[in-house]
Amino acid sequence: MTKSDEEVLRVEDLHKRYGDHAVLRGVSLTLTRGEAKVVMGSSGTGKSTLLRCINHLSPPDAGRVLLEGQPLTPATLNAMRRHIAFVFQDFNLFTHLKVIDNVRLGQRRILKRSKAAATERAMQELERVGLADRAHYYPAQLSGGQQQRASIARALAMDPKVILFDEPTSALDPELTGEVVTVMKQLASEGMTMLVVSHEVGFARTAADEIVFMDGGTIVEQGPPSTLFANPAHERTRAFLKVITHQESA
Amino acid sequence: MIWQTLYDNLPFLMHGTWVALQLLAALLALGLVLGLTLALGQVYGPWPARLGGWAFERVFRGVPAVVLLLLFYYGVTDFVALSSFLAAVLALGLRSAAYQSQIFRGAIQSVPAGQMQAARAIGMGRWQAIRTIVLPQAARHAIGPWTNEFSSELKATSLAYVIGVVELTRQAKYIVSNTQGNILIVFGVVALIYFIVNRLGNAVLYRVEARLAVPGFERRSP
Repeated sequence: MTKSDEEVLRVEDLHKRYGDHAVLRGVSLTLTRGEAKVVMGSSGTGKSTLLRCINHLSPPDAGRVLLEGQPLTPATLNAMRRHIAFVFQDFNLFTHLKVIDNVRLGQRRILKRSKAAATERAMQELERVGLADRAHYYPAQLSGGQQQRASIARALAMDPKVILFDEPTSALDPELTGEVVTVMKQLASEGMTMLVVSHEVGFARTAADEIVFMDGGTIVEQGPPSTLFANPAHERTRAFLKVITHQESA
Repeated sequence: MIWQTLYDNLPFLMHGTWVALQLLAALLALGLVLGLTLALGQVYGPWPARLGGWAFERVFRGVPAVVLLLLFYYGVTDFVALSSFLAAVLALGLRSAAYQSQIFRGAIQSVPAGQMQAARAIGMGRWQAIRTIVLPQAARHAIGPWTNEFSSELKATSLAYVIGVVELTRQAKYIVSNTQGNILIVFGVVALIYFIVNRLGNAVLYRVEARLAVPGFERRSP
């Protein structure tokens, strides 16, 4: 919530279609340094596709993505992705590597840090997400919540300029969701720039600077959580919020 | 006395075993390098690589090993001079490449797509992600089926007999010819030698499998 005016990520008019289905139909947004934005909307409205298009895991058909003013292009892609961390719905920890090696790998191979420096940093980040005592476990030995926290540590160790979270709690049991949300809230409060696709109303209300509501491949409404939750302007937003806030209280 | 004969001929049997092992090592190495290349081409390559891999695999899996040996020895040697040993390495090695390509293709494809995505997302190039993330996991899936391939190919080396490679089976045939008979005992000893080599090889491969096993990639029971 230590938001500044300095622009980190700019997304300009992204379009993406799969076959006949236009999943993104012109999405634009910006993230300033320290800002936490939460993208909401019913399933199939292109939220995950938006995140995947931002770091070009799925290359957009049209539109541009700029990181600190530099456009992502096929030539700059690998060099720029290290600055855009991605947290996956199903964690995608490297299954053959111990937790600590998951957190060290990118530092060693991409950032070319020394083993000692990478180890020290990995332990710091594991400490931060509360997993220092699991450093020498393999992913298969961890619960889903622990795996997701480890994957957040892996993201953080790369010193990203922005982290994209793709439904980070959707694959978790309700009792494991809390530990991941706590870590994410902490990051938001420490000023990490983050774009989060999530239906976690609690996180959105308390940690987000802005909520982006998507429907049918476009952004229909955005604004601070206080406004958007209290007075949604758009009919689709109202209907959606009614459903998910009802689920939350249930 | 047959035991005396066997004892006297033991150096020949040992030499035959040594030739069989050399043939095995060479054909498995050729099959490994080419099979892995074909598998990578089939999974990640453009369509000509996929088509080429597919055609190669169909041909070399669809023709009997003995026919391949005869083709390479008598057919190819009309154009290029090949020793019978080299012809056997090529015929059996290319055939093994076809089988190994399918082992590796399956192993690579059983690595979830999310692993590649996670590697690319931290800024790895495609080839770097294949080397550091996909192949180490694929190797763990491949080692079990590869142990079977090892056993099959060890036994297939005996087929090189038909083109005159003086390996274990052919040495045995010489002993039988020279001593007029004793087929059962001579080939019984030869069978035992194949059996022992196979067990030893499998024991080594099981150890490799056990060393590679980590939680999430548990060793299948041997």
